[in-house]
Amino acid sequence: MAKQTTDTVSATKIGETPKQVVHPEPQYRWMNQSREWGTRVLPGEKGLTLDSLNVGIYGEIPQRWDDQGRNPRGAIPVKGALPIGYSVTSKTELWAPSAAQLYEEAIQRRWAPATDVPWSTVQPLPDDVETAICQVCTEISQYANTDIEVITSWQHRMSYGYHEVKQFLATASLDAARRYEALRKRALINGGGLGLEPMGQVNRVLLESRGGWTETVSALALIRGLFLVTMCEYLLRHAYNEAERVIYSYVIQDVSRLVNYGLDHLQYSIAHDDERLNAITTMVAIGVAMHNRDLRDPVLREALAIVFGGGVAGARKEGMSIFFDFMDDFRKRHLELRRWLKLPADPASLPLGYRPRDAK
Amino acid sequence: MASTSLLFPSVEWLQAVREVFNTSEQYRGTGSGRCDCLVGLKVDNELFRVDFEGFGCESVKEASQADLDEADFYIEMPSDEWKAMLDNIRTNGHAVGEYTINTLDLGREEGIAHSTHGDQYRQDLFVRYNQTMQFFFDASSRVATTYERA
Amino acid sequence: MKAVKAEENSVELDLSWMDQHGSWNTRAEPGKYGLTLADIEVGDYGDAPIESDNLTGRARGSKPRPESMRLGAYTVRSKSDIWVENASFLYEEALQRQWSSATDVPWNTIEPLPDEIEQAQCQMCTFLTEVEFVAGDVPARWISSTTPDFFEARQVLLAQVMDESRHMDVFRKRALANGGGLMRATGATAGFVGGIDLSRDFTEMSARLHISGEGAVLTIFRMGELMAYNDAEKTIYRLCAQDEARHVAFGVMHLRYMSQQAPERREEIHCYLDEAEVGMLSDAANPAARIPQTSESLCILLGGGKDKFDEGHNKLIAIRRRQLREYRKRVIAAGFGERFENGRSRLSDLLEQAAA
Repeated sequence: MAKQTTDTVSATKIGETPKQVVHPEPQYRWMNQSREWGTRVLPGEKGLTLDSLNVGIYGEIPQRWDDQGRNPRGAIPVKGALPIGYSVTSKTELWAPSAAQLYEEAIQRRWAPATDVPWSTVQPLPDDVETAICQVCTEISQYANTDIEVITSWQHRMSYGYHEVKQFLATASLDAARRYEALRKRALINGGGLGLEPMGQVNRVLLESRGGWTETVSALALIRGLFLVTMCEYLLRHAYNEAERVIYSYVIQDVSRLVNYGLDHLQYSIAHDDERLNAITTMVAIGVAMHNRDLRDPVLREALAIVFGGGVAGARKEGMSIFFDFMDDFRKRHLELRRWLKLPADPASLPLGYRPRDAK
Repeated sequence: MASTSLLFPSVEWLQAVREVFNTSEQYRGTGSGRCDCLVGLKVDNELFRVDFEGFGCESVKEASQADLDEADFYIEMPSDEWKAMLDNIRTNGHAVGEYTINTLDLGREEGIAHSTHGDQYRQDLFVRYNQTMQFFFDASSRVATTYERA
Repeated sequence: MKAVKAEENSVELDLSWMDQHGSWNTRAEPGKYGLTLADIEVGDYGDAPIESDNLTGRARGSKPRPESMRLGAYTVRSKSDIWVENASFLYEEALQRQWSSATDVPWNTIEPLPDEIEQAQCQMCTFLTEVEFVAGDVPARWISSTTPDFFEARQVLLAQVMDESRHMDVFRKRALANGGGLMRATGATAGFVGGIDLSRDFTEMSARLHISGEGAVLTIFRMGELMAYNDAEKTIYRLCAQDEARHVAFGVMHLRYMSQQAPERREEIHCYLDEAEVGMLSDAANPAARIPQTSESLCILLGGGKDKFDEGHNKLIAIRRRQLREYRKRVIAAGFGERFENGRSRLSDLLEQAAA
């Protein structure tokens, strides 16, 4: 390289005398290389958001992104780079139009279990109630563990061109980490501890549907996510202290975002890929069957009934009645969302234990 | 702002800065957060220790060389450079340009943040908590300061 | 429907599960920082095993079910492979210091800049948008392979994935906020053998990512104040530097733990460090290295224009030296300092070459 000038700067090694340096002749070959110069996105009411950047070529989201590197969408790509190994390369496999907005919403609604939960409001409870709450915490904590493992096992497989989805999933996995942490903390703060490991058939569905992200999302949104949100709504109504109310409120918000992403993606995928509907229908049917197996186990049902009924005595009557109300609400929502997605939604097609009580 | 000027460097001056830092919401803004570390200050030959715990400054004290050995890192500048930094903060309400502690550190071959233990993990707390440290010194903008001993 | 009704009416509580739980009478106490992860390390709930036999994903300390299926397929089950002693602390710190690129950056302070400055800024932003999420993709992959018995370390990595996501988006935002746009990608993080992406071992990956890679980028972020032209850019670099310092801290503390608990791997780690040093001034992943695309951009930004290129180059040399010195100190802190005494390290040569 041609040498332009020399200069003296301070030591090249610590404590050594200064040496002359040689300044290279700049080539500036990288200058004036842009696919679209002149973009100026201004901040709006919500600041400068990720979705607002999708202008001009930067907003062109292709149906396929086969680039195997980390070329930012809209930049001039590097050709012939060694592949990283992305396998989710089609827009119908992961895209949700709301991903960027959900990403920003997640950041604005961030929280810290250590300091945002009023832990001092947790007071001693009867042993049967504390045991039941701790069992529920153990269940939700393990759900969160599965969410973490599922989401993080997919992130690195998703093409860089769909960065909004990758970024939203970064918030979703941190949300799951907070759930894991917050519920564990609740279990360990009040003289209880963790309970019995859950059954985990839905966990299995989520982990073993690793052949396709859309299929995983089907179970994540329509079964696990919706079930957890509905359960936390009931737990919120029957919380024993302000700390629990805060935890359940945050969990509802966080998981609802994941469900929203899921529904948005499923709708997009079904609308743009003729073959998706059948695959999603099959996946949901498998998920429902596995969830039904989980529900046949008495542990979660009885723990919730004790929490809702104020103890073992109350669980036999009122508590179990509230549990069935909760299950009805969940199943009805599940069927409504199936209809919205144009999936088969006849209650008669569901396993017996999975049908709403008033289903015709 | 205190009506009587306090001498820099002194425990009284650091105490006044600590109070402003601990009680003003503006120093809990973006980039702040929990901060647990022991910071030494070296102004010519005078030594001080500043303990940060949780979300505030726990204490300020005069320090010995042994305290400096114990500190996660210490910030060392000649008194005239401390004065230039504090004057800049006073004029602007916070450090600007080359007077942020980050830039002052970068502008010198060996930096302004040092340690006697040589443990870079602990010395890196200067970076991990940089905004908290900057907020602490920015709080001095609201403390009347004199550099002349009466 | 009848069957469901019947189920409701014939409810009998089993309740045998109420006697099956982890240790009872656990009462974690919130401290002055709330209820932290460290506060719930009580009794056997705080004991991360040396080797984990948890293959079902159960929460550490819960009562295992004998019939549970082995869903985990975890490859990271040895504590020394991923552990850091201060994980709880780093995680809580990360949550407390989260920020929003949409609302915490004063975007309205950005004013039009001379074209050459804007182009240099946009080229750097393109590079950073490109490389920042390597540290999102890769840790995510390892999180999914790590037993939840080591959840404290996983939590830190999950926070890192989020941090990197924010870094990726903040530099994209800066590139598009001032009349510029994205420029040419560098391919700095392609699938190289010996690269960060395709490492087959967590510690190998961490040595490359956290110690050499992010360590070098941390210095760049710290230098951001010297190449920022408005408060928005200063804020971006300052906040990114704090995040990056946490990631580097994870790497240093993991290597330190590993070197103490698995001394048989020390020689292997030295080999990773050997490779890292070879690439320090030539690897495209270090923007201060000799790749013209990034180093020329930095010289323009640090100097203040093409006409002050040499001035910028002097500052770039200072950055390179600083990167190398800080790398040296971090490797010493991690417990591998002998390489600088026994002639194994190439750092002295690199310090010499930094001025070239």
